[in-house]
Amino acid sequence: MINKKYLIVYLLMPVLIIAVFLFSLLIGSNEMSFFDVIKSLLGNTDENIVAIIKNIRFPRTIMACITGAGLAVSGCVFQAILKNSLADPFTLGISGGAVFGAVTAFVSGLATITSFFIPLCSFVGVILSVLIVYLLSMYKKFDPNAMILSGVVISYVFSSAVMLMFSLSPSYSIHAAFVWLMGSFSMIDERFLPFVVFVVLSGIIILSLSGNIINAISLGGEKSKTIGLNIERSIKILFIVASFITAVTVSFCGIIGFVGLMIPHIMRKIVDTNNIILIPACAFAGAIFLPLCDTLSRALFAPVLIPVGVITSIIGGLFFVFLLFKSERNI
Amino acid sequence: MIRIENITAGYLQQEVLKDVSCNIDNKDFFGIIGKNGAGKSTLLKVLCNLIKPYSGNVTIDNKNINSFLKRDFAKIISFSSQHIDISMPFTVSEFVMFGRYPYMNTLKIPSKNDYVVIDNIMNSLNIKNFAERKINKLSYGERQKVLIAQVLAQETNIIVFDEPTSHLDIGSQNKILEILRDLNEKYNKTIVLTLHDLNAAGEFCNKLTLMENGSICSCGTPEEVLNCKDIERVYNTNVVVKTNPISNKPYVIPVSRIKELRR
Repeated sequence: MINKKYLIVYLLMPVLIIAVFLFSLLIGSNEMSFFDVIKSLLGNTDENIVAIIKNIRFPRTIMACITGAGLAVSGCVFQAILKNSLADPFTLGISGGAVFGAVTAFVSGLATITSFFIPLCSFVGVILSVLIVYLLSMYKKFDPNAMILSGVVISYVFSSAVMLMFSLSPSYSIHAAFVWLMGSFSMIDERFLPFVVFVVLSGIIILSLSGNIINAISLGGEKSKTIGLNIERSIKILFIVASFITAVTVSFCGIIGFVGLMIPHIMRKIVDTNNIILIPACAFAGAIFLPLCDTLSRALFAPVLIPVGVITSIIGGLFFVFLLFKSERNI
Repeated sequence: MIRIENITAGYLQQEVLKDVSCNIDNKDFFGIIGKNGAGKSTLLKVLCNLIKPYSGNVTIDNKNINSFLKRDFAKIISFSSQHIDISMPFTVSEFVMFGRYPYMNTLKIPSKNDYVVIDNIMNSLNIKNFAERKINKLSYGERQKVLIAQVLAQETNIIVFDEPTSHLDIGSQNKILEILRDLNEKYNKTIVLTLHDLNAAGEFCNKLTLMENGSICSCGTPEEVLNCKDIERVYNTNVVVKTNPISNKPYVIPVSRIKELRR
C-alpha cells in the first residue's frame, strides 16, 4: 500500500511532468513538430524555432512548473498548520498585499518606467502584509483561528485600498493592473528565472523535509505540545517559508487562484494525509497542473492569450462544486 | 515523586485552581474526581506544563518542571487528552508514531527501532489489525486504546490521562482501566487520571483526590475519600456508600427521592 503511493509520486508524476513540459513547448502560435522541439532542446535545428523555444516557451513553462509546485506546496502547508482544509496560500492576506503593491506600481506610473517595478512593488506589498499578519498572530500565540482572522482582515483592508486607488486613477492603468490581477506567465522576465527557481525550490525542499513536524502540528490539541516539540516556533518558521514561496511566485505571475487550494485536496485523496509524502506529491502535481493550464490558456482561444488564472479558477471552481457534492453524499 | 505546591492557575483572568497542593508517589494509581468545572483537567495541564500557573511550583523528583528541556520532559511524562482533533485524520500507526517524537532527530524521521517499538505496543494492545485504518473511523473504545498506545510509545514513567473512560460502555471502560492497572502493577508506571465514574475510581485507584471549586477537598485512599458526607456535599446529591464484597473497595450509589422515602 505504502509502496504503491511512493511509486505514484516518485515515478509516475515526474514522468507526467516531463510529458506536460514537452507538450507545453510544442503548443503555441507557431506550429512546429514534436521532433523540432526535441532537436531544438538538443541544439541543432532552424534558428527561428530555437529562438521561440529557448527564449519564450522554455522560460514560460519552467516558470509555470515552479509556480504550480510552489503554490500547491504552500497551500498544503497552510492547510496543515491552520488545520483548515479551506486554507490556501492566500488565506493569510498575501494576495491583498501583492495586489496592493502591484496596483501601486501601475497607478503611480512606476510600471511604465521599467516593468521590474511590478514584481518589486508587489513583493514589498506581500512582505508588508505577511509582517502585519505575523505580528497579529504572535499576539495570539499563533492560534490557527486568530491567524486566519487576521489574514482575512488584512486582505479586506488592502483590497479596499486597491479599490480606492482604482477609483482615483485613469482607466488605462486600471486595465493593465486588471490583467496582472488575473495572473499570467506572459510578462515574465527570464533574467529572474534562476532566482525564482532557486528560492521556490529550496522552500519546497525545506517544507518536504519538515513533513513529520507539520504532521505533529496538524495533530493539534494538547498532545502536540507534549511530545517534545516547540509547536509555536515550528509554526512560525513554516509560516515564513510558505509565505516566502508564495510571495516570490505571486510577485512575478500575479494571483493564480485555486492551485493552492485544489491540488492539496486532490493529492490528499490519492496519497492521504501524511505530509511527508503529501508535500512532494503536491509539488509534482502543481508542476503538472499549472503548465497544462497555461498551455490550454494559450491554445484554447489562439491567437488570443487568456490569463492562466482564468483557466485554473474555472477548473478549480468546477472541482470544488464536485468536492462539495461528493462529501455531502458521504455523510 | 510528583510534588504539587500551592498552585494557583487559570485561563486569562479566570482563576480555576486556588492554592492546590498534593503529592503523587511513584507507582501510584492516582485518580482525580470532582464535578464538571472543579479544575480536574486544569490540574493535569499544570502538571504537564501545558499551562503556566500564576503561582506555585510543580516538581518531579525534586526538579522543577520548568527546568526541563521540552524534549526531555516528554520522556518523563506523557499526556493524553480526551479530545482527538480529526480535521486531518491520520492512520492508527501514524498516530501512535507521534509518541516516538521525543526520541527522534530534528526532522522527526522514524528509525527502525521506532517502528519496532510501536509494532510491539500495537500487538500488546491488540490494535495491530487496524493499524492502517483512519483514526476517525474507529469506535470510542478503539480510539481510547490507540491513545494508550500513543502514550506508551513515549515510554515515560508517568502517564497522565484526561478522562480515559468518557463515552465508553461499562465493558470497554473496564478493559481500558485494566490495561492501565496492568501498566501500573507490572511495569511500575505512575498513572494520574481524571474520572467521572466514582465506582471505577474506587475500584481501580489506590489514591484519590476529590476536588471542589478549584481546591482539593480531600485526598487519600478510596476508603477515606469516598465517604458519604463529602460526596453528598460536593456533588449536591444523596448517595449511599457501600463496600464491594469481592474487592472490598467502596462503591457509591445515588439515591433519588430520598425525602419522600424518609417521610
